[in-house]
Amino acid sequence: MPDEAPVTVAQAAGQLGLSAYAAGEAIDSAITGAVVSDLLSYVMANGKRGNVWVTIQTHSNIIAVAALAGLSAIVIAGGFEPADDTVARAEEEGILVFASAETAYTVAGKLWEIGVR
Amino acid sequence: MDDPVLAHEEFPILGRAYFLGGRASTSVKRALSDCGVDAETIRRVSVACYEAEMNVVLHARSGYLSLDVHAGRVVLGIADRGPGIEDIQLAMTPGWSSATEEARALGFGAGMGLPNIKEQADEMRIESTVGEGVRLLLTFYRGGRQDA
Repeated sequence: MPDEAPVTVAQAAGQLGLSAYAAGEAIDSAITGAVVSDLLSYVMANGKRGNVWVTIQTHSNIIAVAALAGLSAIVIAGGFEPADDTVARAEEEGILVFASAETAYTVAGKLWEIGVR
Repeated sequence: MDDPVLAHEEFPILGRAYFLGGRASTSVKRALSDCGVDAETIRRVSVACYEAEMNVVLHARSGYLSLDVHAGRVVLGIADRGPGIEDIQLAMTPGWSSATEEARALGFGAGMGLPNIKEQADEMRIESTVGEGVRLLLTFYRGGRQDA
């Protein structure tokens, strides 16, 4: 059971083989949990500080949601890629953005597997 | 009540500009942080502010947001020019939304906007005139809810 040290965003990105689109200081911060949804208001209501957000939304408003809800990183799943202005806004706000070719379900499963709760 | 204003700011909100949405809220968050407001209050204001801002973006032509930081509380005012809300009770129902298909495909219009605002704010006043717009007045007590 992976219950010792908290998993950092950098470790998760490495172990899941995520592609990085926007970097930031939060890369070495501990992941406090994850939220999976494509409804922005749901993430606003249920996302917690330091969470990773798994979604297939790619437009720049996801950065505003992540920044305001205090999330540390977004993983865009399903083989989608962030829009250019999404990356620019992420860098402005210090939100990490990654992409994965795998489905949101698989990404969430792998995060759980490496110890993100 | 003797609770002087420490900072006042106003931000315009542009209707239909989905991808610019959240800019005003991000500025509010920054202003609160500069004023030394506690993290939990900042989070509550940020969530409510974003939902209110996106309501203007999704439904109205334009609007503005005013922020007043007092020693003991934060007050947000959001007023828009737009269609207004015909049935406020209905609009407050979780899951009910009048957002377009286009907006829903982008993940907006979950019908959680006003319920999320109510959840975060300590006081919420909403007034609407159909065909003119909506006015929202939200109060957040700093350092925790007064009713908690």
